[in-house]
Amino acid sequence: MKTFIVHFLIAFFGSYVYFQYGDPVLPYNAIWAVAVWVIIMFILWLSSPSYHRSYFHKLPKAFTFILFFLKELVIANLKVAYDILTPNYRMKPTVIALPLSVTTDMEITLLAGIITLTPGSLSVDVSPDCKVLYVHTLYVKHNDVELVKHEIKHGFERRLMELTR
Amino acid sequence: MSLFSFTLIFAMAALSICLVMTAIRFAIGPTLPDRITAFDLFVANVIGIVAIYTELTGNEDFIDVAIILSLFGFLGSISFAYYLMKSTR
Amino acid sequence: MFENVNFLLIREIISSVLIIIGVMFMLISTIGLLRFPDFYIRMSAITKGATLGLGLILSGMGIYFNEPDMFLKVVLIICFTFITSPVAAHVIGRTAVRNKIPFWDRTNLEEFKDYMHNEHQFHRDHEKDNRPNK
Repeated sequence: MKTFIVHFLIAFFGSYVYFQYGDPVLPYNAIWAVAVWVIIMFILWLSSPSYHRSYFHKLPKAFTFILFFLKELVIANLKVAYDILTPNYRMKPTVIALPLSVTTDMEITLLAGIITLTPGSLSVDVSPDCKVLYVHTLYVKHNDVELVKHEIKHGFERRLMELTR
Repeated sequence: MSLFSFTLIFAMAALSICLVMTAIRFAIGPTLPDRITAFDLFVANVIGIVAIYTELTGNEDFIDVAIILSLFGFLGSISFAYYLMKSTR
Repeated sequence: MFENVNFLLIREIISSVLIIIGVMFMLISTIGLLRFPDFYIRMSAITKGATLGLGLILSGMGIYFNEPDMFLKVVLIICFTFITSPVAAHVIGRTAVRNKIPFWDRTNLEEFKDYMHNEHQFHRDHEKDNRPNK
């Protein structure tokens, strides 16, 4: 994580210096600025196995995690939009108690934020000993609470733990 | 008037209708957390209107308003919720 | 190769399509705010719709301007919205639970009972502690 922030800042200042003080061959617009930033980031990432091995494996996982999260966000919005625009309510709201495997404060914060943005769920509260997260869910298939818990634990929590450990 | 600016004006009109409906919820909301939620959506709508107005006029200075507004909307809803939690305990 | 392509027209089309989709999501979530029966359901509908709609509107604007500094500001606002909106939703939801805002009558509350019991027990103890002072 620390290495990622350092690389991010180096790539940012590198592209800034290239366009401001260098002799830019490329036209000055947003697409080329992002492209130069990505190229510097890619070179730094390729050079990373010599000093930081786990970062080399984590960045593609983070990328797929972000794509998966965006896909889930769009699916959640379409489900809720369908329920808003049709006259009958299809939802069965349930409050489930999700036992947490993650322990540190940052992981719990990230998980609660991600759960709030995914299909019809809102994280309500954390129990005082940080073991259980209470989630207010809208869509429960066949009244099966365990299925929803299994989906959240194997969809988001596993991927998050692969990233932060 | 080109089709592009017509689209932008249509989008601004739709967001204004959003503002009116949010204001109705703000007025009839049965509880105080409902009003805080309506306030949150209000700020999001105003940020959207500022963004579309920036694109319509082509003046790049207006986008700073949206940055400041997104900061202060978050602080406002958080402080309302905190005040509510402290005052009813 | 690219001389006779009108880039401005392409950018205008992409940006207006993104803006229309974003405005649609905002409008749908606002109708949900008026229509849903319960505070918690309204909350979870709005957080998602407003976040995605605002993200689409702002990215459409960033594509239209096509300048690095503008793009930086747009990315800043989008990151800030994606971080702060779930946090605000979580804080408001927790406040609502602690203030005993009622759930919808069709809500399944089985796993939440012991939490509510503890919380209300705490409230009662707290009020008992406070009473002699008044």
